[in-house]
Formats: sequence, structure tokens, C-alpha cells
Amino acid sequence: MAHRVDHEYDYLFKIVLIGDSGVGKSNILSRFTRNEFSLDSKSTIGVEFATKTLQIEAKTVKAQIWDTAGQERYRAITSAYYRGAVGALLVYDITKKQTFDNVQRWLRELRDHADSNIVIMMAGNKSDLTHLRAVSENDGQEFAEKEGLSFLETSALESHNVEKAFQTVLTEIYHIINKKALAAQEAARNSGPPGQGTTIHVVDSSDAGSSKSSCCSS
Amino acid sequence: MFGTLAQREEPNGVVPRRRAYWITWAISNPRPSDITTSLPKKKATFSVKFEDMYGFTVEGNIDDVNVLNEVRERVRDQSRVWMDLEASKGAGWYLQTNDGRMSVVSLKLSKLTNTITLKNLVRKGIPPTLRPKVWLAVSGAEKKRSTVPESYYDDLTKATEGKVTPATKQIDHDLPRTFPSHPWLDSPEGQASLRRVLVGYSFRDSDVGYCQGLNYVAALLLLVMKTEEDAFWMLAVLLENVLVSDCYTDNLSGCHVEQRVFKDLLAKKCPRIAAHLEAMKFDVSLVATEWFLCLFAKSLPSETTLRVWDVLFNEGAKVLFHVALAIFKMEEEELLRARQIGEVIDMLQTTTHHQYNPDELLMMRLDLLAAQQFQALLALIVAFEKIGSMTTNTITKERKKQEPAVMAVLDERLKRLNTL
Repeated sequence: MAHRVDHEYDYLFKIVLIGDSGVGKSNILSRFTRNEFSLDSKSTIGVEFATKTLQIEAKTVKAQIWDTAGQERYRAITSAYYRGAVGALLVYDITKKQTFDNVQRWLRELRDHADSNIVIMMAGNKSDLTHLRAVSENDGQEFAEKEGLSFLETSALESHNVEKAFQTVLTEIYHIINKKALAAQEAARNSGPPGQGTTIHVVDSSDAGSSKSSCCSS
Repeated sequence: MFGTLAQREEPNGVVPRRRAYWITWAISNPRPSDITTSLPKKKATFSVKFEDMYGFTVEGNIDDVNVLNEVRERVRDQSRVWMDLEASKGAGWYLQTNDGRMSVVSLKLSKLTNTITLKNLVRKGIPPTLRPKVWLAVSGAEKKRSTVPESYYDDLTKATEGKVTPATKQIDHDLPRTFPSHPWLDSPEGQASLRRVLVGYSFRDSDVGYCQGLNYVAALLLLVMKTEEDAFWMLAVLLENVLVSDCYTDNLSGCHVEQRVFKDLLAKKCPRIAAHLEAMKFDVSLVATEWFLCLFAKSLPSETTLRVWDVLFNEGAKVLFHVALAIFKMEEEELLRARQIGEVIDMLQTTTHHQYNPDELLMMRLDLLAAQQFQALLALIVAFEKIGSMTTNTITKERKKQEPAVMAVLDERLKRLNTL
């Protein structure tokens, strides 16, 4: 979970990419972590992941982004995929209405598998393809508001808003963790023996299953 | 060497679909010129791009290149062994081992000898030039094809032309994303062939339709079989006879079953790793889903994958478990040091991507399942035979045991999702 593992980073956050097949999940991943885009990337079958370390409010956060197959029949196989995820980027393709219509089903999937505190950003990808647009930005925005999600339109190809989408999710996660840590500190101060310096275990890695805080287990 | 399937002109001048693609693919020759990057003088962790035996561009270090060249050398040696056998036993001698269909040789003893010879030979690798013939024979694909009219495949592709279904939509989406670095698969011709095979199959079995992952399997089959129709029948026999049933159907229940069976096998055969991973809450499905659905095509280098497939078609799906176990076993010490799930996935992906030496992997599997020690080769083979057959039974039993649990989990999931 979001434990301090070594000197390289302060926190490790696991973010999952979800959404229909072909919406551009793998390219969002490669754009964010390697600043690459490929028009002919391989379709993802199992699990792929990549990491990127960045600064959030003076803390070093290592983001571990997971990517998997989007075809419907794969949904039932990926419960392990969601385990320990503290954030999700739910991607649809603005040129394919169906992928937007399926967002609701992906949300259900998240509610079924993921931690209830998971931070979700909905991303309308391929915003560069304006001439093929099938979902208006307004529809995306309205839906996101209704569901209480963050929302951005992104273009992995033009490198538009991809960094911002992850930054937003990671910052929000960081705030949640921070708030929890402060609350824990407060509780420890009120109940524990005074005078001692308090070590905050934001999350104990050996207790990943029972912890309800939104952190990642890997 | 690959020009054995000559193009035949149809009366109307249309080039038929049953034709050779890889006329000039010089697989049996080592091709040092394939190494496109000039090698650095100092041996270090430099990465070079080179072309492997089936035309895939791969990236590896200088050791990988050396291993690959050694493997090419061994493939040539094996080819000679097979050629010698053809000379002494007659071409197509292996056909006689396949459940007595070709009973030209009626002596049971010679048939038995051939079966054993074949099994051992196949485990050492079928030469690329003979793969199409041998695979069709030993897998039962040839037999399957013989039960339908000869025009079956052509009729099927004609009948399905222009039809649009959810399966064809997904197929069209995946065509350019199937081994895009391969020159032929990246060509319009290659993609059209792959499309016909996948679309054809989606109509043959509408329960499967199209499942992502089959694109990689079918693509590699096309590269090996060289004709679309042969690739189609290999795909059919795989899904209908070789693999666990329902591996690719709507809820992938067969694949779920395999994951559970594998998890149990790992606990039995590699208890230290299993315990370590369990403590980490690592679920084997994170890596094994791709292995079992793409049959390693997306994970292992091409020749290594095809060596696994050689055994798969001759001995059945148990080899998938053996290879999966071998991969974990090879990384045992590393895995035991891993502290995070991400590290585990990384290690396993790296080791599979660089497994250019098929023998290492397949011998590991022998070692793993054959009482941990190498003795004389014969003893080893005998041991493998025994444990191998036990494993088939074990796997069948294990599958039976896991099926109800999988169905219950899948049903439960649907119910839950409907209430959310």
C-alpha cells in the first residue's frame, strides 16, 4: 500500500487503466510514463504496467500504472488487477459512443472489485479527432458530475491533458492519505502515551487486505 | 526450402487462398546479417535489434544474439535428424503413429517404436520446414478437415465476406495491433489473411466468436503453416480438441479453470514460491492469463513458443502447465527476493521475453517433473513419461474439481454486478 519503501520515493500509488478495447489505454500509459505514442501498439492481453516518479507537494510519489485487456469477457478475470488500486483512469473514446455508454458498466466493475475510496478520473480520449467526435465534452462533463468523478478530455497522440489527468488523480490520492495520516496522528496523540514521537504507518503492507485506506499493495 | 507449396492458378486466374507466404524465408540458415545494429566492442548491456527465425524484430543483448545463433545451429542439426529418419523410415512415417489411421505399417511394435521416437523427437523440436505437416498430423487437424467437404474453408470465407458482427468489429480493431513489428503481419496482405481466418472461425463457433488473444495465436499459426486454410484447421483443432473447453468463450470460464489448476500445481511443485507469492497477495492470473490465452505467443520469443506448441499439439495442454511452472521455477531465487507484486510481474515478463533458448525451458520442465535429477537421457525420458501421464490425469481431475467453483464465482459476479 502507500508505504514508504525506500529512499527513492515517499509513496507508491497504484492506478488502474480501464475502459473498452481500443480507447487508447496503452497509449495513455506510454505517453505518461515514457512520453511515447505508437499508432500500432500491440493489443494488451494480460497485465502491463509502467511506473513514473513525480513530485506532489514536495513528496516523491511513484505512480505505478496498470493496463489490461478491454474486451468484455476479460472483465471477470481481472479481480486481481484491481487489488490495492488507489486510483483509476476510466477511459472512453470520444469518437465511439459505445465506449462512453459502457462507462457505467466499468464503474460497476470498480465498485465491485476496487476499494470504495478509489479516486476515479474519467478521461475522454482521442480529443484530437475532432472531426470524428461522437460524444460532446458537455455530455462527458455532465456524466462525471452526476457520478462524482473528475473529468478531462485527453489526447495521448497530442500529449494533451494526459499528465494533468494523472497529476489530478495522484494529488487527490495524496490529500486523502495525508488527511488520514493526520487523523491517525491525532487519534494516537489523544489515546496513546504522550511525549513519544509517533510513527505513522499510513498502511501496513502486511495488512493490505483489511486496510480500508486507499493505497496500493504493491 | 519453403517453396514446397506451389501456388496453383485457379481457372479464373485468381490466386487461391491455399498458398505459401514465406517462400523465401530462410529459416534453416543462420543469418548473422540479420543483426541490424553494429555490435559494440565492449561486451556490455547494449541492446541490439535483430530478426529472429520467424521474422520478428526483437530487442536483446549480445548474449541473446549468441543464444539465438546457437538455437539456429541446433535447429539445423535437428533438421538433419528428421531428414535421416525420413530417408530410413519413409516420408510421413510419423503419420503412422497417429491412432492407427495410416495402417500401412501393420506391425504394432514398429508403430509403438515410432510413437516413442516421435515423442522424443518432438520434444527436441520439429524442424520449421516440417512443422506444418507434422502439426496437422499429430494434432488431429488433418483428420478434422477430412470430415468436411474440401471446399469448406473457401465456402466459409465466401459466406462470411462482408458480414459485420461484434466479433468482426473487434477483429478489425485488433488486426493492426497484432505483432505490428512483423513485416508480413503489418502488410495489407497479411492482415487480410489473418482477418479471414479469425472471421471464419468466429462464424464456425459462435460461442467463441472472437476473443482477444486469438489474434496472436492465429497470426503465429499463419506464419508457421504458411497457408490460411491449414492455419484455420490448426486453430479449430486447438480450440475444439487440444485446449480445455470454453477457454475463449463468453466468460472465459475454461481459462478461469486453468488459472485455478495452475495455482494449485504451483503450490504443489514450487511450494516456496507459492507461499512467498501468497504472502504478497500475488495472484498468478496476473501473468498466467496471457500465457494460457495466447499460448505464450505474446510472451516467449517465436522459436521458443513454437517448441512449446510442438509438444502442445503432440501431447496436449498439460505442456502449458509444465512451461508455466518452469518459468516460475527458473526465477525461483529472484522471486523469493521480490517484495512487491510489480517486481514479480517484471521479473516474469523479462525472463519470458528473453527466453531465446527453448531447450533450457523445456529441460527445466523435465527437471522439474522428473524427480529433480538428471541421469542418463533414457532414464529421464522414462521418468518424464510416467510423470507426464500422471500429470494429464491430474490436470483433468483438477479441472473437474475447479469447474463448479469457477461457475459459482462467475454467477455470483453477475448477480453482484446486476445489483450495483
